[in-house]
Amino acid sequence: MKPSQIPLIQQVAGVHGRSKIGSREVVGFGVNGEANYVDRIVSPFPAIRFKEDTPDIQALREKEKGDWKKLTIEDKKALYRASFCQTFSEMRAPTGRWKSTIGCAIGFMTLGWWMYVWAKVYVYPPVPQSFSEENRQAQLQRMIDLRIDQVDGLSSKWDYENNRWKK
Amino acid sequence: MPTWMALGFQNAASPLMEQLIFFHNHALSILILVMTVVSFKLIKTITNSNINVQLLESQSLELFWTLAPALVLLFIGLPSIRILYLIDEVYNPDITLKTIGHQWYWSYEYSDFTQNIEFESFMVPSQELKSNQFRLLDTDNRVVIPFNTQVRNLISSADVIHSWAVPSLGVKADAIPGRLNQVSFLINYPGLFYGQCSEICGANHSFMPITVEATYTEFFKKWISSFKK
Repeated sequence: MKPSQIPLIQQVAGVHGRSKIGSREVVGFGVNGEANYVDRIVSPFPAIRFKEDTPDIQALREKEKGDWKKLTIEDKKALYRASFCQTFSEMRAPTGRWKSTIGCAIGFMTLGWWMYVWAKVYVYPPVPQSFSEENRQAQLQRMIDLRIDQVDGLSSKWDYENNRWKK
Repeated sequence: MPTWMALGFQNAASPLMEQLIFFHNHALSILILVMTVVSFKLIKTITNSNINVQLLESQSLELFWTLAPALVLLFIGLPSIRILYLIDEVYNPDITLKTIGHQWYWSYEYSDFTQNIEFESFMVPSQELKSNQFRLLDTDNRVVIPFNTQVRNLISSADVIHSWAVPSLGVKADAIPGRLNQVSFLINYPGLFYGQCSEICGANHSFMPITVEATYTEFFKKWISSFKK
């Protein structure tokens, strides 16, 4: 045999897990030497054919050994589907899964929101007096008078000469 | 003091806090750099469907992603160590303050003067607040300190562990029974600086705040004299 055939034979010989695949043919090493089939774009050559061989497929395989121009479109499709489950377009096709994901996420967020509303209405006591508008204004005025955060915070935005916020 | 919806630090009132803020900005910018690079690479990897995921060896890549993080760590570590040692710098403080944590108030002692000054500092209860007082922050007695003066604070506790913290001064130290923790600080300008107990100490842990009043030396002297024997 040619030297280039030897690595392929070694790879196929190293494939394990053959007891689980029925009569499906091992055609390569796959991802890690396990005899399984998976459609994945980044590992395009699975270790085994997708379907078990039938007499029809055997006949097509023989025809495949000849001139490929003699194969009809239907032949090519049948050969592809015997070895593979999905085409690359089918693998890449959008699933629309994002719609249900976003929908469920928003649904649960809404549920959480309604739980908060219930707690606000039925559970929490009223806020303290210090939250009233008059008290808050008084506290703000005191913060300005105390020069709180005078470097680049609150008081740095107050115009002390004209007694108003800086423009 | 804290302001509503503030994301960053309170303005620094001491030189050490200034340095801490600068270091934080420096470390955060490095973090943003790393996050940008990583998320860019991640998005590129996810959205590209034709890459070779069987890439198993690349010496130059491994060299880069070992040296680059080491360099980043150096850029973070050196300023960090600098500040660490700055904080422990030895000064000759002009004033020594002693702070004792109790459940649930602070007591302070000034022993430098002819008369020993001791007082307790309780939070103003919410029902007794005046309209312009700050809820959970204002206290009946304040720690009065002259500004631009190096202060030594010896912190301990009479019962459980508390923690004396004033964020705008960059100070936080645990008050541990049977132990004296020393912090040193200097206040750059007069004003009121608030803090809160920072170690869980029981039911009223959230209700034992700290108010530091930094004032002119003249007023401080008058305040000291007002404590009669």
